[in-house]
Amino acid sequence: MAAIAFGVRGWTGPLSMLAVVLAVVLAARLGRSLTPYVLATLPIVISILLVNTFFYPSATDVIVALGPLAATWTGLAQALQATLRVEAFALSVALLGLTTSTDDLLDDLEHRGVGRRAIFVIGSAIRTIPRMAERAGEIVDAQRARGLDTEGSVWRRVRGVVPLAGPLILSALSEVEERTMALEARAFSAPGRRTTLRPLADRRWERVLRWALVVAAVALLSLSVAGRFPLP
Amino acid sequence: MTLPEATAATRPTTEAVRLESVGFVYSDGTRALLDVNLAIAAGERVAIAGENGSGKSTLVRQLNGLLRPTEGRLALFGQDTKRRHVAELARVVGLAFQNPDRQIFAGSVRAEVAFGPRNLGRSGVEVDRLVEEALESVGLAAESWTNPYDLGYSRRKLLALASVVAMDTPVVVVDEPTTGQDAPGIGRIRALIDLLSAKGRTIIAISHDMRFVAENFERVVVMGGGRVLLDATPSEVFAESAWPVLDSTSLTPTYPALVGARLGLGSTPTDASFVEALAARQASS
Amino acid sequence: MTGSPQPRKTGDSGGAGVAPASAGPPVALQLRDVRYAYAGSENWALDGVSLELTAGRVLGLVGPNEAGKSTLCLVAAGLAPAAIGGRLEGSVALGGRDTSSALPHELAQRAGLLLQNPVTQLSGTSPTVYEEVAFGPRNLGLPLDEVATRVEDALAALRIEGLGPRDPMHLSGGQAQLVALASVIALRPPVLVLDEPTSQLDPAGTRLVGKALAGLAGATGTAILVVEHKTWLLGDLADEVALMSGGRIIFRGPTAAMLDDERLADLGVEPPPVVRLRRSLVERGLTPEPSLLAGEGQS
Repeated sequence: MAAIAFGVRGWTGPLSMLAVVLAVVLAARLGRSLTPYVLATLPIVISILLVNTFFYPSATDVIVALGPLAATWTGLAQALQATLRVEAFALSVALLGLTTSTDDLLDDLEHRGVGRRAIFVIGSAIRTIPRMAERAGEIVDAQRARGLDTEGSVWRRVRGVVPLAGPLILSALSEVEERTMALEARAFSAPGRRTTLRPLADRRWERVLRWALVVAAVALLSLSVAGRFPLP
Repeated sequence: MTLPEATAATRPTTEAVRLESVGFVYSDGTRALLDVNLAIAAGERVAIAGENGSGKSTLVRQLNGLLRPTEGRLALFGQDTKRRHVAELARVVGLAFQNPDRQIFAGSVRAEVAFGPRNLGRSGVEVDRLVEEALESVGLAAESWTNPYDLGYSRRKLLALASVVAMDTPVVVVDEPTTGQDAPGIGRIRALIDLLSAKGRTIIAISHDMRFVAENFERVVVMGGGRVLLDATPSEVFAESAWPVLDSTSLTPTYPALVGARLGLGSTPTDASFVEALAARQASS
Repeated sequence: MTGSPQPRKTGDSGGAGVAPASAGPPVALQLRDVRYAYAGSENWALDGVSLELTAGRVLGLVGPNEAGKSTLCLVAAGLAPAAIGGRLEGSVALGGRDTSSALPHELAQRAGLLLQNPVTQLSGTSPTVYEEVAFGPRNLGLPLDEVATRVEDALAALRIEGLGPRDPMHLSGGQAQLVALASVIALRPPVLVLDEPTSQLDPAGTRLVGKALAGLAGATGTAILVVEHKTWLLGDLADEVALMSGGRIIFRGPTAAMLDDERLADLGVEPPPVVRLRRSLVERGLTPEPSLLAGEGQS
């Protein structure tokens, strides 16, 4: 969908994809969670709007002139089109993120043959971040209780880096051997495929839709590139 | 009466810690403490016991300012803790956490223990002295230059304890000091508590080792559901009449207390008090 | 005082359905003159250990810290040297078969190992306790309903079915320890090697684990080697106790006799409360009442 939004020239591509994304968002009731993603695109969108409206080359249909700068209709149109592309792209990616649970994704990848070690590393990395954050919180507490000043001057806080980062790194490293042993003790290195706990139902219509999207993307893109796209 | 109880009776009093109607609610709305009133005199040896989630850890974190009461008032040696930084309160209350690996960062045992007193601004000579005394008191003097991670877990716990002792604070708080220790390790901790007590330090310990509590503390604060359920001597806390309260917070009386009650000897929380009571009965019969 | 499993005495193989062969009950774990040194270390962490454990029996291992008990656990389960290297002399056999050329995942099915620190025992990649306990059976590629049965049985044995949907990374130390134990039990190995499985548990949790382990030994003939500081638990759970120090087994015998032995205290092992109280009375010149001997160990 992102490919269609970007690759197809003109308005139809981005508009239709945006419409699809918004329809799905409404259906899944994800409206509010989409807000941070929309906000994240604002800086780009604003600069696109400004640059294109005012600086679009060789445009002569001026809306308003502000000294040396002139806003043109052509520029504005291009700006809007570009904005739609960006939004459609960004939001379809956001949609992927919001509707896919990492666990399901990893499970499914493993089911389709991705090795258990790779899955473990990815899953572990994802989970490590919040876990380390919690640990970091405990470490900060313990060191503050020993008089470490976390509220003083910059220099004092710089001196706190080792006592704060040290335990995090050291304990993580010292645990590696034990963690490895614990994994081996539970047959992690056994050959063959692991049992899939949650076989994701890959329903017929889902598969059809997936392939249809891919085919449509290829078709539309090639038409567009060849200059034969029928819609504006 | 147990030995610590007897010693306490003859001690002069200044008030070290006072909690007045202290309550605490976490930012997610969970209530951890409700209407806690506690006054601890300087030099007292107090144990805090109760099941997981009873509020013990939350309570001790109020003492050095890591958490602040959302209701009520907390004073240390007469002064409200309200606007005082954690770094400042750390001069008054030293808190040793349960997991030593959340604070160890130095390359040597010595450097690790020196961290606390240095933060408190002690001079080089004083720091050296405090470090040596602290290591001596936990039996790690021979390991001054050892890397902390070359020590086993139980000795790293002793190291964490030494790190707090070296700060030489008037109040020393320890969280589950005996878990993971073997018998000699527990012996060292008892000796350390005796040493600190002899110097007049106030000691507060969280522990689920009821025998350790009965034998080393003159006062037991039993917590459950964020409240103080009992605040009395071991003799009173392990007396048969209090057993339902202990049960409500997943605590069991000590073995001598159970046997003493069964034999009708009154409250005998420790081996020593049981033996005395039995001897007294046999002498009089 | 709540009920506890029957105190176990010698001479009973215990396992239901384990018919003693003509040569005697099956030997589940055997070490002969074992010496072991960690990779990169000059010292023998184990210096001549021999022991035998028959199916359905529980052997308690006591001793001061750094006596080699944890090392013995790693060697008995075969992970040392199979997974962590190091030098091994002597022989280790699980279920009668030598472990020297076995791969770690094969060993994992023959001996379940639980180490001291619950935090490192958990994989850290399972979103729920249920999946964490399923980790072992899944790794073996067992059919889904077999995995489910094993997980449910393991959770039920430790009475932690309620923790099933919880996030393993947000459990208390005690809960994490129970989950780690459940995940080892889920592999259903014929031998269990446990290094201080109750260190983070309060007395109630400790009793629960004791009952669960006694149940496993009795019902399925699992042989259990358990390192413990809580001697009162061993009084209820273990058939025999061995005392270890300096990389060697100093002596071994039936539980009741061992826990009463003076040499335990010399080596820094705390005897159970019953024994301590009895000794205090004797020291004072008082005669201990018979009712004391029947008491259960509490801390």
